[in-house]
Amino acid sequence: MDLASLTAQLQALRAEALPRIAAAPDLAAIDELDLHYLGRKGGALSVLMRGIGALPVEDRPRVGVVVNEVRQAVEGALGAAREGAGAAALAARLAAETVDVTAPAREIPRGALHPILETIDRIAAIFGQFGFVSYEGPEVETDATNFRMLNIPPDHPARDLWDTLYVDVPGGLLRTHTSPGQIRVMQAERPPIRALLPGRCFRYEATDASHASEFYQVEGLMVDEGTNLADLKGQLVEFAHAMFGEGTATRFRPGYYPFTEPSVAFDIGCLVCGGSGCAACGRTGWMTILGAGMVHPVVLRHGGIDPERYQGFAFGMGVDRIAMLRHGVTDLRVFLDGDLRFLEQFR
Amino acid sequence: MRVPLSWLRDYVDIDLAPEQLAERLTLLGMEVQGIERWGADWRNVVTGELLEVARHPRADRLSLTRVRVGAEVLEIVCGATNIAAGQRVPVALPGAVLPGDRAIERTEKMGVVSNGMLCSGDELRLTADADGILILPPGTPLGVPLADLYGDVVLDVDVKPNRGDALSLVGLAREVAAVTGSAVRFPEIAVGESAGPSVASLLAVVVEDPALCPRFVGRWVGGVTVGPSPDRVQMRLLAAGMRPVSNVVDATNYAMLELGKPTHAFDASAVARDGAGRARIVVRAAGPGERLETLDHVERELSADTLVIADERGPLAIAGVMGGAASEVGATTRDVIVESAVFDPVSIRRTAFRYALRSEASLRFEKGQEARLARIGADRVAQLVAAWAGGTVAPGRVDTAPAEPAPSRVAFRPGRVDRLLGTAFGAAEQATLLARVGIAVEPAAAGQAVPVAADEAPLLVESAADALVAVVPTWRRDLHIEADVAEEIARVRGYDAIPTKAPDTQMPHFRPDPLERRTAIRRALAGAGLDEVLTPALVPEAQAALLGWPAEAADGVPGEDAFAGRPVRVRNPLSERHAVLRGSLIGSLLDVLAFNERHGRDDVAVFEAGKGYAAGADGAAREWWRLSFLLTGAAAPGTWSRPARTWDLEDAKAIAALVARAVRGAPPTFAPHRGGAPLHPGRAARATVPGLLAGLVGEVHPETLAAWDLRASRVLVGELAVGGLGGGQLAPVRVEPTGRHPGTERDLAVVVAEGVAAGDVAATLQAAGGPLVRGITLFDVYRGGPLGAAEKSLAWRIAVRPDDRALDDGEVDALMGRLVEAVASAHGGRLRA
Ligand SMILES: [Zn+2]
Repeated sequence: MDLASLTAQLQALRAEALPRIAAAPDLAAIDELDLHYLGRKGGALSVLMRGIGALPVEDRPRVGVVVNEVRQAVEGALGAAREGAGAAALAARLAAETVDVTAPAREIPRGALHPILETIDRIAAIFGQFGFVSYEGPEVETDATNFRMLNIPPDHPARDLWDTLYVDVPGGLLRTHTSPGQIRVMQAERPPIRALLPGRCFRYEATDASHASEFYQVEGLMVDEGTNLADLKGQLVEFAHAMFGEGTATRFRPGYYPFTEPSVAFDIGCLVCGGSGCAACGRTGWMTILGAGMVHPVVLRHGGIDPERYQGFAFGMGVDRIAMLRHGVTDLRVFLDGDLRFLEQFR
Repeated sequence: MRVPLSWLRDYVDIDLAPEQLAERLTLLGMEVQGIERWGADWRNVVTGELLEVARHPRADRLSLTRVRVGAEVLEIVCGATNIAAGQRVPVALPGAVLPGDRAIERTEKMGVVSNGMLCSGDELRLTADADGILILPPGTPLGVPLADLYGDVVLDVDVKPNRGDALSLVGLAREVAAVTGSAVRFPEIAVGESAGPSVASLLAVVVEDPALCPRFVGRWVGGVTVGPSPDRVQMRLLAAGMRPVSNVVDATNYAMLELGKPTHAFDASAVARDGAGRARIVVRAAGPGERLETLDHVERELSADTLVIADERGPLAIAGVMGGAASEVGATTRDVIVESAVFDPVSIRRTAFRYALRSEASLRFEKGQEARLARIGADRVAQLVAAWAGGTVAPGRVDTAPAEPAPSRVAFRPGRVDRLLGTAFGAAEQATLLARVGIAVEPAAAGQAVPVAADEAPLLVESAADALVAVVPTWRRDLHIEADVAEEIARVRGYDAIPTKAPDTQMPHFRPDPLERRTAIRRALAGAGLDEVLTPALVPEAQAALLGWPAEAADGVPGEDAFAGRPVRVRNPLSERHAVLRGSLIGSLLDVLAFNERHGRDDVAVFEAGKGYAAGADGAAREWWRLSFLLTGAAAPGTWSRPARTWDLEDAKAIAALVARAVRGAPPTFAPHRGGAPLHPGRAARATVPGLLAGLVGEVHPETLAAWDLRASRVLVGELAVGGLGGGQLAPVRVEPTGRHPGTERDLAVVVAEGVAAGDVAATLQAAGGPLVRGITLFDVYRGGPLGAAEKSLAWRIAVRPDDRALDDGEVDALMGRLVEAVASAHGGRLRA
């Protein structure tokens, strides 16, 4: 073996290796060629390099240069081939993994909170910004707490305003409104008072699209030395704007409740027709959403508060009606029948 | 109250359009709930003159008429007998529509073409007469739409219970006057008395209890001819919603609508005479066993506290509520006794309720009557009866209490009124506003007390120097205290004149939200895919027994125990389906499932936070809160990429665990509950977190499913008592250090006898592992070879992590060894090889 023939063999090896590597179809073939040409023991380059020992000492460095050139060329080719094959494999894998993304998304299960309680939450959040906090009271009340302490004596014609369900405990009835809570809060707290009383109420009333024998109310109460009718108007206008939108028209007119004096009926511009008059508003352009007034002095006294020093306002609103207006519900029976076709729309 | 504007105009001038008037009255507190166009349902009905009335050529009972309608003359066939040439009548032209959508066409009647129809008062709903044609006054213009002459606008005014005085046209005229500033014309009441015997020689009245009948005024009208009222009167009554009856009865109803004063007319011949030949009336409580046939021809047994108008033979009428049939004014009545009385409002209200006879009269009596009106009403009715039914009015009145009270006086402080309203009207403007509703104002006398509250213990405060006195007209029975005067000032001025402002008073102290815990639980359950429901608290009486829910299984959470009492029953239930307050929510949730199954929904996962109720021997009702849920069908529906997952018992247990976690509680432990129906005896557990949570979760017993007629075969339910569900705050989360070192997990399968409870093994593992063991998951249960027949393998995944250092494998191996030993010694188990 001489320098020239060894060099020629090395060049031939390169000439053979590079196209074969470039043509290798996949990583396995590349690994095989890697072993075939560069393998430590039986690789073609190693085999040729055994011939170096037979060369004269002065020729050996020159062959070494060629060996390195060939090795680098083959390694370079292997590296490039590997890179290409990896990218191709990845591309093939990704291609194989293609799915039809247009299929409708599955649902991650999520339940709905009940729209009545969500409406109460919303009311509480609005009045919460004005410093009102929530209280709850019992649903089984007595004639004394539901009526007499609220300035509604027995056999008073005003009792016609509340058709009552009576229960078989002494003096017992199902509260017809959340107003008994006013007395409880006043007895428990000292002014300044800002209280909100949400809860379930009951009436002797046949159920139809707009009446239910069980329904929800939110009562509000504010008491301090200077709390006045102008404050009540201010709070209710804020509430109407927060609940129904900034542009909501509002109207105050005299109402009648035995436990407020003066009494107020609060209307908003009809949300259905915008005030021009429709069936929903009885062609008046207005919808009554709550009753209110300045707490009657007799009621303040039953709450243990001096009506000469303090004055306050109270309001009571029907949550069902507000929820109906908010959500476009036309028959309030859906609120209590557990119809999932209705409830799932709030998920 | 229905208010025909044409009638109202008798008492006050109105320049406003009906819509404007309605709005102004509404803003004054007299809410107009509807505006009805009276006569709007007459289409193509005009006035005509009868030129000729001839016999129909082929029918004896029919007439053939020629009617001039404007320029045209029409031939019309008519069956009425009260018509004659020269009369003016309403004519429905072909194409006309009458009330009740009755269409009139050109028709042939017995060979003669009839070009329309002559109308009776009843057909037009103008009068009560259905037999004769409505004969219009001679001067009626011809060819004019009837609606232009007799159409009206009727306001439906919602008069509030404190304003009985406004249940009258005169009362509402006063309200209109307050709006417009015009004057009220009180009807001219002048009784033309005869020269005959005085009423005192004809009538005697004895009131046994003046508290129940403070005043009784009687009048006598002799020699009347009972018949229909004038058409004009019938038209007014019908427009106001009252059916005309006869001239005498209509006179009482007319006066009631006009003045707000109910009266009653008796046929004098039906009243027994005393020794002096006088009809003698006694106002007294009904005696034992007394009976009366009332005007509606119902024979009623009278209870002892019923106030009656009686003669010596017995009751003639239920006072203020309904007259008696025997003394009813009828066609043969010659002499009429007019009763115009004031009765105790509470007595009338109770009586009207007792006999379910709430009438226009009783509604007015129960709101209280002005003493003065007893006199005025008697005079007015006597005047109208004489005018419409003829006869003569005997001179004088019988009057049991002729003295009429003076107006009441309510002192008020203009400054205090402005403080209540948030206004700065001042004394002068307040006085001007009060004058518009007839309230005179004068300075208060020194030391005159101001009524702040007027209940059983009136609160009177000494008046300030600038105090005034409101002189309240006798008809206003709703003004007693300073705040009442304030409302009157505010409503007359209009509530839009009150400022609208943000409160500048002090804010209360912070108070935490009492619903924090309930809200946290509700949100957690909704997040887990359960829909929240609200269901009626009133359920059928039989439901509790049908369900048999063991409420005591939720006991043991301080303050949240169910009350071991009887159900609270409604005394006057709307229906048997809503008769008692429920003790458990589970029945309602089964109802929800049934509802949804009927609507084709089989996948149902719902919860409700609601109350249970019961009454104790002490008579008091108690209420408590429960968290209840129901799961059935698929938790997640199957899709192309993942099969459906079905709710199972482990989910029900997981809900209990989620509820505990939502309120920062430890995981619950589960003990078998083998009570049977309503739960599956092998698939029910009592979940407990000591001091925090207790209740049952499990699969519903097949018999209970059948009782609810449910389609589902597997339904999971749970009802839990949770500390603070009724009201409570969440404690903040307290963290444990997470450490810098990773933890590790090991799997450990132990073989135990079939009867060993997995929950007990888990407790043993946790106890033996101590704080190093951070999590224990049962990931597999295996039965079969090579295990023994009565053995099972429980495979656990144990998460191990120390707080502050790295773990080495030897330490973990040692721990696993201790765990196996603990299981072996406690439960007789062994490591599965
Ligand atoms: Zn509208």
